[in-house]
Amino acid sequence: MSEHVIIESYDKIVLAKITKERLLEPVVIGPLGAALLKEVDRHARIALVLDLSEVEYMASAFIGQLVALHKAVGVAKGRLALCGLKPSILPLIKVMNLDKIFVIYPEAQAAINLFKRQAP
Amino acid sequence: MTTQLVFRQDPPPALDSVWWARNWPSRLDRKLEAIEEVQNTLIARGQVAEDDLHWLMLCLDEAVTNAMLHGNEGDHTVPIAIQVGTSDGRWVVVVSDQGDGFLPEAIPDCENPDNLLLEHGRGIRLMLEWLDQLIYFHGGSTVWFARHPPQDRPPCPST
Repeated sequence: MSEHVIIESYDKIVLAKITKERLLEPVVIGPLGAALLKEVDRHARIALVLDLSEVEYMASAFIGQLVALHKAVGVAKGRLALCGLKPSILPLIKVMNLDKIFVIYPEAQAAINLFKRQAP
Repeated sequence: MTTQLVFRQDPPPALDSVWWARNWPSRLDRKLEAIEEVQNTLIARGQVAEDDLHWLMLCLDEAVTNAMLHGNEGDHTVPIAIQVGTSDGRWVVVVSDQGDGFLPEAIPDCENPDNLLLEHGRGIRLMLEWLDQLIYFHGGSTVWFARHPPQDRPPCPST
């Protein structure tokens, strides 16, 4: 369990809001990644909205965790959206060409609305 | 154009001037203290634009984490050495560990689409995006990176 994420579930959509400004330390990144993967296991065909609007700094190790999360959601035939990426974070995703695989929204509510419309 | 990684076996050149130098224990729970000291040194000397602080933090974090975790294998009794200073008008950070280095072939090619879903190996590629120079000396056990301060940066080519 991680103290750096608030997870709420409603209407078959899981909203995970990361509350840590700096995702740099292994003691933060490891449990956070594990907590998110656990949510993928807990919800069949999860619709996961990951709100990163509080995150200002991100190590490449957390980008690896995002890729692991993307793969786990894919295996579970679920959906994942990243939201609220600050100007300090979005270029990291683009440089790594990960904007081609991640669904990215400016705000969490936009992703929630989309997932509601696309509910299976 | 993205900076190219250089990999050498020889030791790094001496800096023109040294602003800050410390040995630091290989403790990941204390790495942010070291990173903030380096960052504050560069900020106090006007070497990094405020809009670029996240890039500086990322580069420092990658260099220090790799030195502690991979170079010194997380051994708290083995320090890393950090230097901050100048060379040829640029600010420079040098981070040395006491490991055996690594083979450059071990670094994944992040431009290869087949590697898009790798869960590791992106740190150096991200550093290259922002830095003017990134050199591994001593077969990989010393990382040396540099960037021109904001006031001396060449103008961006017109588009």
